[in-house]
Order: sequence, then structure tokens, then C-alpha cells
Amino acid sequence: MAPDSGPFPDEQFLKLLPVDPRDRDTQRCRLGPAALRSLGARLGSPLRISLPAGGCCLCTAWPRRDGADGFVQLDPQCASPGAAAAAATGRISLDSLQPVPCPPLRRLAVWPVLRPQAGAPNPAAVLEVAHELLRNRPVSRGHVVAAPPGVPGPVAALHVVGGTPDPEPAGLVTPRTCITLGDRPPPQVEPPGEVALGGLSETADTLRELLRLPLRYPLALAALGLAVPRGVLLAGPPGVGKTQLVRSVAREAGAELLAVSAPALQGARPGETEENVRRVFQRARELASRGPSLLFLDEVDALCPRRGGRGRVPESRVVAQVLTLLDGIHGDREVVVVGATNRPDELDPALRRPGRFDREVVIGTPTLKQREAILQVITSKMPISSHIDLGLLAEMTVGYVGADLTALCREAAMCALLKHEENQDAPTIEETDFLDALKKIQPSSFRSSIGLMDIKPVAWEQIGGLEDVKLKLKQCVEWPLKFPQEFARMGLKQPKGLLLYGPPGCAKTSLVRALATSCHCSFVSVSGADLFSPYVGDSEKVLSQVFRQARANTPALVFLDEIDSVLGSRSVGTLGCDARERVLSVLLNELDGVGVRTVERRGRKSDQQEYQEILNRNVMIVVATNRPDVLDDALLRPGRLDKMIYVPPPDQEGRLSILKVCTNNMPIGPDVSLEKLAAETCLFSGADLRNLCKEAALFALQEDGLEAATVRQEHFRESLRIVKPSLSRKGLTLYENLFKKGLSNLEDN
Amino acid sequence: MAQDQPLLAVQVALRKCFPVVEEQQALWQSTLQGCSSLLSSLSSLAEQLQAAQNLRFEDVPALRPFPELQERLRRKQLEAGDIVLDKLAERLATLLKVRDTVSSHVERVFQTYEQHSAALDVDAVLQPSVVSPSVADMLEWLQDIDRHYRRSYLKRKYLLSSIHWGDLASIQALPNAWDQISEDECQTLVSDILVSVSFFLEEPGSCAVSGDLGPCSGAALSAVSK
Repeated sequence: MAPDSGPFPDEQFLKLLPVDPRDRDTQRCRLGPAALRSLGARLGSPLRISLPAGGCCLCTAWPRRDGADGFVQLDPQCASPGAAAAAATGRISLDSLQPVPCPPLRRLAVWPVLRPQAGAPNPAAVLEVAHELLRNRPVSRGHVVAAPPGVPGPVAALHVVGGTPDPEPAGLVTPRTCITLGDRPPPQVEPPGEVALGGLSETADTLRELLRLPLRYPLALAALGLAVPRGVLLAGPPGVGKTQLVRSVAREAGAELLAVSAPALQGARPGETEENVRRVFQRARELASRGPSLLFLDEVDALCPRRGGRGRVPESRVVAQVLTLLDGIHGDREVVVVGATNRPDELDPALRRPGRFDREVVIGTPTLKQREAILQVITSKMPISSHIDLGLLAEMTVGYVGADLTALCREAAMCALLKHEENQDAPTIEETDFLDALKKIQPSSFRSSIGLMDIKPVAWEQIGGLEDVKLKLKQCVEWPLKFPQEFARMGLKQPKGLLLYGPPGCAKTSLVRALATSCHCSFVSVSGADLFSPYVGDSEKVLSQVFRQARANTPALVFLDEIDSVLGSRSVGTLGCDARERVLSVLLNELDGVGVRTVERRGRKSDQQEYQEILNRNVMIVVATNRPDVLDDALLRPGRLDKMIYVPPPDQEGRLSILKVCTNNMPIGPDVSLEKLAAETCLFSGADLRNLCKEAALFALQEDGLEAATVRQEHFRESLRIVKPSLSRKGLTLYENLFKKGLSNLEDN
Repeated sequence: MAQDQPLLAVQVALRKCFPVVEEQQALWQSTLQGCSSLLSSLSSLAEQLQAAQNLRFEDVPALRPFPELQERLRRKQLEAGDIVLDKLAERLATLLKVRDTVSSHVERVFQTYEQHSAALDVDAVLQPSVVSPSVADMLEWLQDIDRHYRRSYLKRKYLLSSIHWGDLASIQALPNAWDQISEDECQTLVSDILVSVSFFLEEPGSCAVSGDLGPCSGAALSAVSK
């Protein structure tokens, strides 16, 4: 092959290849002879190269070793900030290579970027390294010369700030060039590829303010005689983006971030942890002496647990060390300490005062708007189809934190990939993929939840009769959850709780199941088995945890079945302090307490968002019992269980529809009259009717052998003789009169 | 030949430069070897210091009669260490001198090239011959050699300046670290280049131009045999 004969293989474009390992850190640009000739470049003459990915770099022209044309390899050691990483591969036009004049420089000003482990070196050492690094190199104003990683020294890179003559477009550093250190840092360039944050803008503002105030208004602050707050504690459940928030704010503000995970500081030997802590703060102080910096202590609860208690002396020492360091840091400037934890109550109280962690920012589970914003950020780089309504998706993902939403989108993308294997080049993600993913990804706050139920979906139609009860239930529960705007318009407050009472076997539990199915919200069911434990105080804690989790995942339904056994009654109760009474008091508090704990705050503190978030603020409790008479009076007042719904035993019509539902899957003979059966089964509850049908079918099997084809009328008769109604007239009147009587008593008085 | 004059000038400069490099490389290598033995004695001194630190003198009955033994021993060892360090500093100065000599020679060659570059044809610069590599290659090699010496010197200087007696473990590891530097850099870089240019250097006289015995340049051949 004759390398330098004929035109370019591709006339205008050169293929950009990765740099030869031998040429690393040489600032050489390898060109074919034809390109060299057409540029009129001599050996080692400087070229300014505009990179396809943006940015430009300054190189010296050298011939390729193999003499091939049409290729270019360059070492972007002196490049505009951020361009060095981008110079990978691609095609580059010959026009973007430009020979530039390169006069020798008399003076040159640089701004050094120091290596993190360098500490604070004296300027002479930095200058020496700069001399060595820049020797015989062409440089350009605004470019960064990166120090090769293998070379020791305190300098990681040098920003070329200026010089005489002005190194624009280029200037050559000779051994006689006088290099000085610039007095101000070059303007920061936003690094590309920043991860955007969804829905955390307000919290980010708080942090940003802390970082930027002392930078922007140093004089004003000094005039006010104020010490700027220097500590922030971020609290919130896992996965809401505490760590990411800190990272992105630090990057945005151009602050140096020193991120330390608190468990990583723990040492095995006594005193080692304290030493590690001291070293970290020392590093932060060194960084701070060069510019704004931010020390981020992740999982700070592991480092600073509550002091006191036996056998915790070593931990107390660490806590004390952190406290003194946080106090000591105020002598210096610029170190902002940010701690993140998901268990703020476990922290030592001494840490949570102004002067240490001045501010506490609670990042709650994202609200509807925040979820939408998060989804927008995540899906911005995904090829999603235009039909997807992110608002709807946000509505469906109640209780999902940022991490869950990311997992959801990833899962949806995987679904799309697997489904459309034929067009893998350009898969688009459809709404169905998201729905599939939604089935697989559970919100993480729910993973450790108590009483989370997988319910078998039950439609309202599957429950026979009880039409007015169903309507009432829908009114009380489904409407407020589904149409909050209308309720707000009518000035209605949402009901808190709901009591279902009635004789056993009359479909109370089934009704709740249908309710949970129809309103698509988190459904938590708690029974005595979840609550009671041999330890004093445990039951109360579990119950309050149930409510906390439900509040984190609103809208939610909390269902307490057989509540009479779970809660005692203070009025009827016998002997003072009973676990059940304490559980009752917890429940009363949760239903109608003063407020919620600060850690559970969601969104902003102010009420501006109330209208849009009204959907989100709802935890409804549904309790069911067949012994309403033993319930505590305090529980039954409006504001707690405001609505009491009597679930009556089925009347004749109801029984008919129950029978229809029960015999739905049963081959019944043509002679069977369900109407007649319904008329005869007075005082039968729903459960009794189901039993009746079952018995009849068994009789059929018994009589006709295993080949029995149909259940005939006589089988029903037979079973009717055996199955007796479980309800009695007397019991029913008791239920019916229970609350009326209370009212009449009051009137009598 | 008029158009060959610039090329000839550059080649003359190159021919002057490479022998200097060869000579300095020998000096560099011998200095490095000398350093290695010094470093190992420094490392054993550090080991002795460490051992003396770990020993509890008051617990050894035989040593009790000697007053202030520990301090004296330590002073003695540190003095010995300082002597070694002084010698090392001398060696380092030699290395520095090698580096600067090479740099100045390389710089001179490049100056010559710059002076004549306007008159030089790219093809002539790029064209190698059977006995000599192309001028471009040789210039590149000189740059590489210069960079090699500079970087190597810098690394060694940093290593030696990091010595302090408080950190005995790192002093004990010095010989390894020193060897590591040699291993990291391309040890044979300079000698390989010198081998490549050996024919070019041996070629007598100043007239051997871009000596083309290549197939496609018969015209140039006549110029050579002038």
C-alpha cells in the first residue's frame, strides 16, 4: 500500500481511534502523511483539534508509525475541561484540525487542581511539578493539562489561566517560561451527564443555600456577625434519595464532596474508630481550605448511636469525638457536614442541636407530584411510548420511593426487551410493560411490613344481597379515596374509621375483601396473632408501626378483624392494666391523635399542597366484630369510628342471591328451586347457606356414587334437615337494638 | 544538493546527540545500581532501629549496666542513616545531571530541526532507509528518551524525599519501591532506541543522506553516491 499516494480514502473525514499506549501523556496527535501535508504541519507543530463530542484539545502533530492515512489518534492531555473524557472514538473532519501559531511564553499563570491525598503542599512544590509537567508543551488558555496518573506529586491537573504573550490559541512553555500560580480558580464548568433529581427540589434548595451563602455573600454575613449554619441532618426512609441529593447538590454547587459511610470508619482496635473519624475531618478541613467542601456522613446512626447503657463505652467515645469535631469545625470555613440516616431517633440527642446539625430535613416518601417528577427524570432517557401517562403511573405507585421507581422502570424495560425480541434495536416501552412490572416490584417500605396481605380479589357482585350495606361502604370508603376533589368541594372531611358489626357468618370479612379489591389501595390486615407478644409494650409498638407504615403508603386500609378480642374495653374491663387496654389506647391515639411524628412528614410542611395531595393523606381503618356491645365507648365516637354499619343477616332476596353465588359452580338439577330454598332458610346466615349447598352436594355424591352428575332438590331437602341456622331471633334483636337503645337511654335521662 | 542540505544538518545534529545519550545512559545505569546497595543498607538500618525500639532494655539484665544505652544506640543508628542519605543525595544529583545533559542535547537537535523545518519536505523526513530510521522517528525517540529520564528522575526524587525516620516500615520497603519504579517504566526503552540507531551512527561521513536503497527512488540513489 502506498500510503501517501492518491487522495484520502474518505476525503473529508478521519476515523478517530483510541490512543496508542506508547503515546499516552505525550500530547501527540498521530496523522497520516497526506493529512500532515495538507495541514502543512511540521513534526511536533501544535494543532488545535475540535472534538466531535464537543470541546477541543491541543496536540502536536506526529506521523503515524504505519504511515496509513484516514486515521487519527490523539492524546488529549491538554484539552478544554471535560473534553478529555469525551475523546473516545468517532469521526472527525479534517477541517477541525487546525495548525496554530505557538510563540514561546515568557510568563504563564496556572491554577493547580490538587490530588486528594496531597494535603496542603507548599506553593514551591506545586510550581516545581507544574514546571516539570508543562515543560516543552504547547498550552492554550482555558485548557486543562492533566497529570498522568503514574507520576507522583501533589498535582492532579493544571488549569491554564493566562500568560504573556496570551496563550490563545496556543503558546509554548519553554524551560525559561516563568510559571506562577493563579490567584483565583477558573470558572467551573458543569460536567456533562449530570443525574437530575426528581421531586427533591425544595430539599435541595435548603442544602444549596447552606453551601452557597458563605460563598456568595461573605461580606454581608460578616457584617451581620453571623456564623452560617454548617450542619444538616437528612432523615427519611431508605431509598428516597438522600445520598443522591447530597451528591448532586455538591456537584452543582461545585463543592468538593467527601463522602464517608459511617460503618466504614469502624475499626477493630480500641481507639481506631476515633482515629479514623479524626482523619476524615482532617481531610475535610484540608479540602475546605481550598474551596467549598461538603463532608457527607452516610448512615450516621451507626456512628453516633444513643450514648448510655451498659457495654457501650467505646461507642460513647466515638460519639464524643464526633461531637467535639463538629464543634471544632466552626473555627474553620466552608466545611458543611451533612449526615443522613433513616433512624433519626437512634441518634445521640447531643448531635441534634444547632451548632452541630443545625437543620434537620425530613425527606418523606414521595408524594404524587414528586413521584411524577421522579418518573419523568427516570424515563427521560428511556424510549417510552407516547401513550404512557406518567401521572397515572404516579397515582398507581403509592408508597414507592425513588429506588422503587427506578426498579420499576428497569423492570418495565426488561419486560419490553423480552417481549419484543424481534426489534431489539429500538424497543419502545409500552404501558403494559409498566403494568407487568408493577406486579413484580413491591414498594420497599412494604417489604418488612406487618400484616400486609395478598388478598384474593373479590368483586362486589360475588357477595349476594346486602345492597344497601355495599352502597354505604362505597360511600364511606371508596368515594373519598377515589373522588377526593368532590369531597373537598362539598366541605366533607374524610371519615377516619368504620365499624362493621353483625352476627357471625354474614359476610363482614368478604365485604372488606371486596372493598380492598375495588379501591386499589394498600391493604393491611392485623389480627391478634400479629399484635400480642410476651414482652411488655411490644403489642403497642407493633400496632403503632402498622399505622406508621400505612401512613407511609397512603391511601391505605387498615383492617382489624375480630376487634373485640384484640381490644379490651375500659368500661367493661375488670382489672386495671391489661395489654389489651394499652393496645386500645394506642389505637385511639393513632385514630385521633394530636398529629403525626415529624419523621413521617411528606412533601412540604406548609399546607399549600393540601388540595393536590388530598388523595394521599388517607388512612382508613375498618374494624369488624360480632360483639359490638363489649367495645369501648371512646372508640365508637365520631372522629374515630364515625360510621357504624350493621351487616344484617340476609333477607329472603339476599339469601336467594347468596344461593345463586354458592351454586354457581355446582351442577344443580332442573328441579331445584332456589327461590323456595331461600324462603325456607329463614335465620340462615351466608356461611350457613354455603354449608347447606356443600352438604347437599356431598349427599349427591353419597347417593349416586362418584359418578353423580347433578345435585337434585331432594339433596337440598336432606341437607336442610341437618344444617340448622346459626342465628337466633333473640340475638338479632340484640344487634338491632344495640345502638338505638343507647340513644333512647340518653333521651330518658 | 541544495534541497538535501537541511536534512543533512538535522542528521548531523542527531548523530552528535545519540552518542551523548549512550554515554549518559551508562552513567545513569551505574548510578542506579549504586543507589540500590545504598538503599538496602538504609533498609537494614531501619530494621535495626525497629528492633531496638521493640526491645525493652530495662528487662534485659545484661544491658542494665550501660547507662542511656537506648538513646545512644538510636543516635548512632540515625547518624549512620544520615551518612547513607547524604550519599544518596549525591547519587541523585548525578541523576539530575544526566537528565539535564540529555535534555539540553535533545533541545539542541530540535532547535536545528526547527531552523530547517521550513525547507524540509515531509516525505524526506518520513522516509527511512535500510541503514537509518526516518528522521521523524529519531526525533520522536529523542523526545521519548528525554521524557523517560525526566519522569524517572521525578519518581525517584519523590521517593527519596518521602523518607523520614518516623516511618520505619516504609524505609524498610525502600529497595522494593525503588525496584518497582524501574519495573514500571520501560527499562529497555533507551537501549532499544540506541540499538535501532546503531547503523545510522556507524555510517561514516556526513554525506549519507536519507540513503535510499528503497525500490522506488533510484534518483535519490545517485545523489547518495556522489
